[in-house]
Amino acid sequence: MGAMGEATTPGVGGSPWTVVLRRLRRNQLAVVGAIIVVALVLTAVFAPWIAPYDPAEQNFDALLEPPSRDHWFGTDDLGRDVFSRVIYGTRYALLIGVAVVAIESILGALLGFASGYFGGKVDAYISRLIDIMLAIPTLVLALAIAGALGGGISNMILAIGVSGWTEFARLVRGEVLAIRNSTYIEAAKAVGLSDWRIILRHVAPNTVAPFIVYTTLYIPTAILWAASLSFLGLGAQPPTPEWGALIADGRGYLSFAWWIAVMPGVAIMVTVMGFNFLGDGFRDALDPKMARQT
Amino acid sequence: MWRYIFKRLVSLIPTVLGVSLIVFSLMHISGDPVRLMYGPNVAQEKVDERRAELGLDDPILVQYARWLFRAVQGDLGKSIRTNDRVTTMIGQRVEATLSLTILALLITLVISIPAGVISAVKPYSVFDNASRVFALFWVSAPNFWLGLIFILIFGVQLGWLPISGRHGPLWSVDGFLSHILPALTLGLPPAALFTRLIRSNMLEVIHEDYIRTARGKGLPETVIVVKHAMRNSLIPVMTLLGLRMPWLFGGAVVTETVFAWPGMGRLMVDSIMKRDYPVVQGAVLFLALLVVLANLLVDVMYAWVDPRIKYD
Repeated sequence: MGAMGEATTPGVGGSPWTVVLRRLRRNQLAVVGAIIVVALVLTAVFAPWIAPYDPAEQNFDALLEPPSRDHWFGTDDLGRDVFSRVIYGTRYALLIGVAVVAIESILGALLGFASGYFGGKVDAYISRLIDIMLAIPTLVLALAIAGALGGGISNMILAIGVSGWTEFARLVRGEVLAIRNSTYIEAAKAVGLSDWRIILRHVAPNTVAPFIVYTTLYIPTAILWAASLSFLGLGAQPPTPEWGALIADGRGYLSFAWWIAVMPGVAIMVTVMGFNFLGDGFRDALDPKMARQT
Repeated sequence: MWRYIFKRLVSLIPTVLGVSLIVFSLMHISGDPVRLMYGPNVAQEKVDERRAELGLDDPILVQYARWLFRAVQGDLGKSIRTNDRVTTMIGQRVEATLSLTILALLITLVISIPAGVISAVKPYSVFDNASRVFALFWVSAPNFWLGLIFILIFGVQLGWLPISGRHGPLWSVDGFLSHILPALTLGLPPAALFTRLIRSNMLEVIHEDYIRTARGKGLPETVIVVKHAMRNSLIPVMTLLGLRMPWLFGGAVVTETVFAWPGMGRLMVDSIMKRDYPVVQGAVLFLALLVVLANLLVDVMYAWVDPRIKYD
């Protein structure tokens, strides 16, 4: 937050958020990222108008057709239009990314706050839990949980969400620890404010900035994990046009119909890049010290 | 040093116990594993009989204590499907996973250290910009998809390398060739990340006073870069290496499935699909142990890279 305070010096002007937005606009990659993310959201919302075909519509006269003017990304083994399936897949990718990060951030924020604010035994237990969770590869745990719960998109979201909250908890814990001993929190305690009031009114707002950066940077990670789970058959089930599942569908046809597996992969890559650019841009705008290092 | 390693090993016990509790509960969040295995059409008597055989009708704490007691002795139970010992099944596959992850790690370091150093020595040069573009590409692409692209290009189109299976140990010619594509799939995405990290660390270190002093003494630029700057900029890389261990083993699970690799990851995925929980538990526990030990190794290596770090 010091960085944002520094930016609001006389002559620069505006609220801290205006300054952040101005810095974000100056960062070309962040602008590209923002354009990609907005385009993805619009694609998800207007999928029925953008997709030329119904994503589930089978056409046995056009099986495994290569990309052409009629089918931009070709067709699959059931004659379904790969472009339309990829377009509809945007909906699943964004939904999964946001839902997973929502679960991760709520769990992480609650545990991180409790750990950092109350300290002592609460901190010791939660830190130990984080150590334990960090020992198990997130993807491995998510796979095992998704397998135990039995596939499907909602189980997959839950499995990834409960496996991947540790980074959020560590972030919030660190921020809260840094804020907890500051004089204004001491003052709030001295005037007799309750713990919850202090957390909600004074501590939480100061963790918002790094939290936004993490959220933006974790959506693509969640999308990649979800695609991996679906690819392995433990996420979205056929005929759902989820990108990981689409790549799995095309795997068997790789040598003579590469487009089925390659196109959804490109979509994942562009999405992940967009969110990463935007997340990096947010990070640089909120903490200019980091800006020129990477 | 040995005292530090011993102390760290002892401090790992609660972590490993916690992992074992999570791993053990996995079997129980899915309901009755025997019913799941048999399906809905098998008579309840047969299900009950098998449950009793497996000790699944005892109280949960008793089951955990029994499982843990056996696990400590190296007995992770038997596969529900094949009746093979889980430790034997893991033992047969661990070498394949280790040889794959070690080669992937080597690829990561061999590419990222020189690339990061060159990018920092000549920032914003053609090389630096090219490495930035490559980094963006590798970090954004799902690794199973990259694996498929490698199969398509180097296996199917060019026919240079085998596209599935492990054709022998790493040191044999066929074995080495079969390791290349999966190890690249697993090692290139972290290489991209490490390159950028090493570059930014080097850029910071290069402006330190002691580098200026080294220049002032008239040391050759290579000595300054390799002996003074690089060594110090490798410390944060070690931290990232430790943090990335779970990602490496997690990535191995997916990569092994893409390349039909006979390792732990594929064993785990196959067992999840067949709902063979003793094997899933064993594999997850073993992968977690590998992560914990790899992290310990990274911590010990700190001392080698940075003599300022003292272990008490």
